[in-house]
Amino acid sequence: MKKIQRISAVVLFILVTGFAAHAQDFSHIEAILERIDDQSRFDGSDFSAVLTMIVEDSEKGIEKMVVRQFRRDDGERFLLLIQEPVTEKGQGYLLEGDNLWFYDPSSRQFAHTSLKETFQDSDARNADFGSNTYASSYEVEGYLEDTLGNFEVYIIDLKAVDDTVPFPYTKIWVTKDTDLVLKTEEYSLTYRLMRTGLFPKYTKVGDVVIPVQMIFVDELVEGQKTQIAVSEISVSAIPDHVFTKAYIERVNR
Amino acid sequence: MFLTMKVAFRNISRQKKRSFLLAGAIAFGMLAITLMNALTGGVVGNIRDNFSHALGGHVFITGREWTDAGQMIMKIRSDANLDRLLEENASQIEAFTRRSQAMPSLIFGSQQTMHMVYGVDFSEEDKLLDSLVVTHGSLDELGSKDDLIILPQPVGERLGVEVGETILIRLETLTGQQNVGEVKVAAFIEDQEELGLSAAYTSRAYLNTLLGMDSHEYQMLNMFVTDLDFVEGFARTFREGLRTLEEEEEEEAEPAVTVTVAGMPLDPMGEQEELTPWEGTRYQVMNINQIMEAVELVVGVLNQVGLVIFLILLVVTMVGITNTFRMMMIERTKEIGTMRAFGMHQKQVKRIFLWEAVLLGLLGCMAGLVLSGVFAMVVGSLSLNTDPSLQFFLNNGKITFSLPIGSVFLNTALVVFTSLLAAYWPARAAAKMSPMKALSSHT
Repeated sequence: MKKIQRISAVVLFILVTGFAAHAQDFSHIEAILERIDDQSRFDGSDFSAVLTMIVEDSEKGIEKMVVRQFRRDDGERFLLLIQEPVTEKGQGYLLEGDNLWFYDPSSRQFAHTSLKETFQDSDARNADFGSNTYASSYEVEGYLEDTLGNFEVYIIDLKAVDDTVPFPYTKIWVTKDTDLVLKTEEYSLTYRLMRTGLFPKYTKVGDVVIPVQMIFVDELVEGQKTQIAVSEISVSAIPDHVFTKAYIERVNR
Repeated sequence: MFLTMKVAFRNISRQKKRSFLLAGAIAFGMLAITLMNALTGGVVGNIRDNFSHALGGHVFITGREWTDAGQMIMKIRSDANLDRLLEENASQIEAFTRRSQAMPSLIFGSQQTMHMVYGVDFSEEDKLLDSLVVTHGSLDELGSKDDLIILPQPVGERLGVEVGETILIRLETLTGQQNVGEVKVAAFIEDQEELGLSAAYTSRAYLNTLLGMDSHEYQMLNMFVTDLDFVEGFARTFREGLRTLEEEEEEEAEPAVTVTVAGMPLDPMGEQEELTPWEGTRYQVMNINQIMEAVELVVGVLNQVGLVIFLILLVVTMVGITNTFRMMMIERTKEIGTMRAFGMHQKQVKRIFLWEAVLLGLLGCMAGLVLSGVFAMVVGSLSLNTDPSLQFFLNNGKITFSLPIGSVFLNTALVVFTSLLAAYWPARAAAKMSPMKALSSHT
């Protein structure tokens, strides 16, 4: 009996120390997450670009959307103004800290929306247009070392720490040498794959690295995906009044 | 008085054709207004019943609470106070159901559609199951399996899914996280999509799992009351019983001011309610009458339009009655002279004419009521299997007529009054006629 107790104690000790050692192993992964977040933030400058979105839908066919993006990460602000198609022209999304507003020129009304919502009828979410928040929004559950194409990557399993992000579980493929996220898989609460994100092209703008091509594939609806190409990138200062409701209204006059 | 009535009745019987035509005109007006009132009354009753079945009750209680992250969610947990109220008012509750709800994307292959889904406990939803018209499949397995769904037929067609196949259900949890489940289509049902009441039904336990709630929690408590006449008071009992001290204090501090225009509440545009987070659950209690207000408003307008048409018909009939009574007066000049010569008073002569008008009006009303009764019986017995949206106004596919007794009396009183008014001047002229002149008249 004593022998069994001793063996149990030893096993327990190994398990506990093993888990502790394993948890410690995640520190360098957490450091990677922080580097990913840091290199996606425009802390010292503003950012503007034109996003060309191709939305493929098995029912509606292929739709093109052109969006002008203004972004200021100091104060968590962005403005997305839809320029094409004509039917949606003038619609805008304004992020002011925690509040995201959607403006519809036909009703001339602002409606509260969320970063967790999808952008228009695409597979992108409003949160995809800001900086990354992997380090603060997720905790590491595990990781693997693997290759993706020619790149050596970490495949990191993440679990959301709270309800502020749309997907409770995420898996990211991060290059070992440059900390670039090449692929993401996002899962539901029931751990079913919902969306795959591919980021094949990046560009460096100052100290910031941003993906200039993004592909989001809806894994639940066959044949539904969205490609986003980023062009006309600028880090010139954007006037303060651009990040206001009045500006969106004025643009639509 | 009895003599004047007798003479009046004899006079009406003497000119059968003329009396028939006059009473017929009145009967037509009475028929039209009675049918209009009865039809609208029946439609309101049917819509109320169908709404009750679709929504699962007459009184609806929802609960709201704040999460630790400062998010307001719709949820009802176990609540001793609510249980006590249910127990205390059990005699007035015919049945009650607890439901959850979501507006998920239903996905099958490359097709998807957003649709209202109610999570129900099928073992307590007899009324719902009785009211569903199954077009394909069966409801037999609903009580034993959780991952089944009943879909409205058009939704099934849109998705291209068959009974027995599995669809995906994509939704957000109460706190906004993405979730996906799989459900097997158990049956297709007819729905009232055109009226915005189309809904799919699945097990509450399963929907709760997807919404991130415990299986015993729910979002709506729906109650069928035993007597709809007391629904307002019943709802008030629950509203007051569930109100927290904090809510009472807030109400006292900030009395609600409602600006109304023509009886309709006016909500200031763009003003969003600023909510301060509270502890625990706050309840909202609504009853079927509040939901029916809009329908009743439309029906009220219809009834008023019907009344105006009825009044126009009465005015036209009144002109006819006045002319006819003038002719009658001229025809009976000698007769009036004779009656006056034999000692009949002016008032009695006037009363004969007025009683004739009253009797004609009453005969017309009775005929109109009988005709509308016959019409309602014939039309009400026909089964109309037409558009599903029309079914919502019907009771099991049949038109229902429901006539408030008050409107019968009101319409009859209106007819009698206008007949009296129309006959008044000819009657007065007849009464004022000099017996000498009347007797020497050639008419």
